Amino acid sequence: MKLLPALTFCLLACTARGFEIDDVFDRLDNALTIAAFGGDLRARLSGTIDIEFYNFQQPAPGLIDSEIDNLFNPRLTLFLDAQLGSQIYFFAQTRVDRGFDPSDHGAQIRLDEYALRITPWQDGRFTLQAGKFATVIGNWVPRHLSWDNPFINAPLVYENVTAIQDKYAPYSPLYFIYAPYSYGKYAFNPVIWGPSYASGISISGRLGRFDYAAEIKNASLSSRPESWNFTENGLENPTFSARVGFRPNEAWNFGVSASDGAYFRREAEPTLPPGRDIDDYREFVLGQDASFAWRHLQVWAEFYEARFEVPRVGDADTFAYYFEAKYKFTPQLFGALRWNEQLFSNITDGAGGQVRWSQDLWRIDVAAGYRFTSHIQLKLQYSFQQETSGSRDDNHLVATQLTVRF
Amino acid sequence: MRRLAGFNTVVALLPISALAQATVEGRVELPKSHLAPVMAKRYEIVTRGGVLSTQPPLAVVYLAGSFPKTSSPSTKQIAQKDLTFIPSLLPVQLGTKIEFPNLDDTYHSIFSYSPAKRFDLGRYRPEERPIPSEVFDKPGLVTLRCDIHEHMRGLILVLNTPYFVVTDANGRFRLGGLPAGQYALKAWIDSKTTLEKPVHLKSGEVSQVDFP
Repeated sequence: MKLLPALTFCLLACTARGFEIDDVFDRLDNALTIAAFGGDLRARLSGTIDIEFYNFQQPAPGLIDSEIDNLFNPRLTLFLDAQLGSQIYFFAQTRVDRGFDPSDHGAQIRLDEYALRITPWQDGRFTLQAGKFATVIGNWVPRHLSWDNPFINAPLVYENVTAIQDKYAPYSPLYFIYAPYSYGKYAFNPVIWGPSYASGISISGRLGRFDYAAEIKNASLSSRPESWNFTENGLENPTFSARVGFRPNEAWNFGVSASDGAYFRREAEPTLPPGRDIDDYREFVLGQDASFAWRHLQVWAEFYEARFEVPRVGDADTFAYYFEAKYKFTPQLFGALRWNEQLFSNITDGAGGQVRWSQDLWRIDVAAGYRFTSHIQLKLQYSFQQETSGSRDDNHLVATQLTVRF
Repeated sequence: MRRLAGFNTVVALLPISALAQATVEGRVELPKSHLAPVMAKRYEIVTRGGVLSTQPPLAVVYLAGSFPKTSSPSTKQIAQKDLTFIPSLLPVQLGTKIEFPNLDDTYHSIFSYSPAKRFDLGRYRPEERPIPSEVFDKPGLVTLRCDIHEHMRGLILVLNTPYFVVTDANGRFRLGGLPAGQYALKAWIDSKTTLEKPVHLKSGEVSQVDFP
């Protein structure tokens, strides 16, 4: 319990000496930028230190994988950004934490992202990128890192685990529906697993008021972080995703996305019906997104319709959406509000009846953030989640996240 | 005699300060140039080619002292162009209004947490009128940043004197129109370094002062 007074003291000191602290970080930034070949190659090392604390009811909400109600989750993230000439850019992200998603496991180190990007023309009409990087669909990815995300967690559709399993095919509709009550959460998948840092190639660019992006990746949007590595999961069952955006002006941005790919991992092959293979069972996702920003207000919304082709079950459909708003009350204080909902279709239960394949639910997220300096930020969040079908379970989450950016 | 009388008439119409103008010139030893920043483009769907330009270090030389306040502080501009602040260093007199036009075709979100001026202009379009602005009414250093483009940094030095000049990239400066008298001449080099030298300015003379 000595940690809390020490942390409070540090934050008060940050408030009082914020300008000097920013100055130190700026000097560190200069020191962590290097150049070679007469400045043609420049590289910058940067990062964030996140200290998170969660309090929740069991089962833990979203992708939090913990049997402990009070979870301490520290994370060190390092970024490398390098520019070679005017056309070649490389970036990498590595993390040391307790797992890609908050968990009560031991420490691990991962190379989460690395990509090489070539931009042949100055006007941004075309960019080619290869490596392991975030998906192009939707509008959440650009703000998914802790410094930019108004919340501590992701929108519901990016973290709510469904009855879909990517390691085993269900042997009956009833098994498919009731397995989540018997197995640990990590056996199942959401519609989109966070920023989906799968491996592959993408193209993107802008043509007038339209922008486009398309990617071919080694894993579906719902796939787990282990599947994103090229060594784990090659391109034999690729996922194709694309987004077309329309930006009438800087304030508004609209987009439509689509994705299609096989969602089972290799180890699921023996559990599939005879004569069928992984490529026969696909995840289709259609998405629509919109955002607005002006002065101190930012608003985002995304709508996703997804279909999973499930062996021995048929099509399992779901619809998820959220509205999110952030407002800066003062230069340093902001508030954010998000409404999320996910609805599931009915499937035949194998006994002549119809049953919902996962429980409908909604969640409201409220957050406040304060930037002590331009490098230190504290966020507090409360979330309330309730199932609107089935046993109507609810869940309260309180979380805090301190981020130091360098 | 008529010619001399005419000269006297002209002299009588000039303000006294114009007759008493002194000039100081010299050179400031500037620190080593910083490397141009590397822009993080990780999650940008649209990436433009090109690199950010290197901004050479500059110093601000100013005359410290007690001077009468000017009646109407001027308006200056710091533009956001090609994802940099232009100029990257702007000295202004206390009370100056600075406009921040966005000349890029993308949003910027300028803010400062500096004690001399804490503000956040938020996101605004290039064609936004009136151009978002702030009045700088407390002396000190103001660091400008952009909430969207992490690499962007600009400096405003708010001074309680009307006599200041920015050096060239070689550190040379010439500060004219100064009142005669004993003053301290200061050279602001960076947030941690301000050098100072006493100067005795005489009307019509050019003094040579080098830092250090």
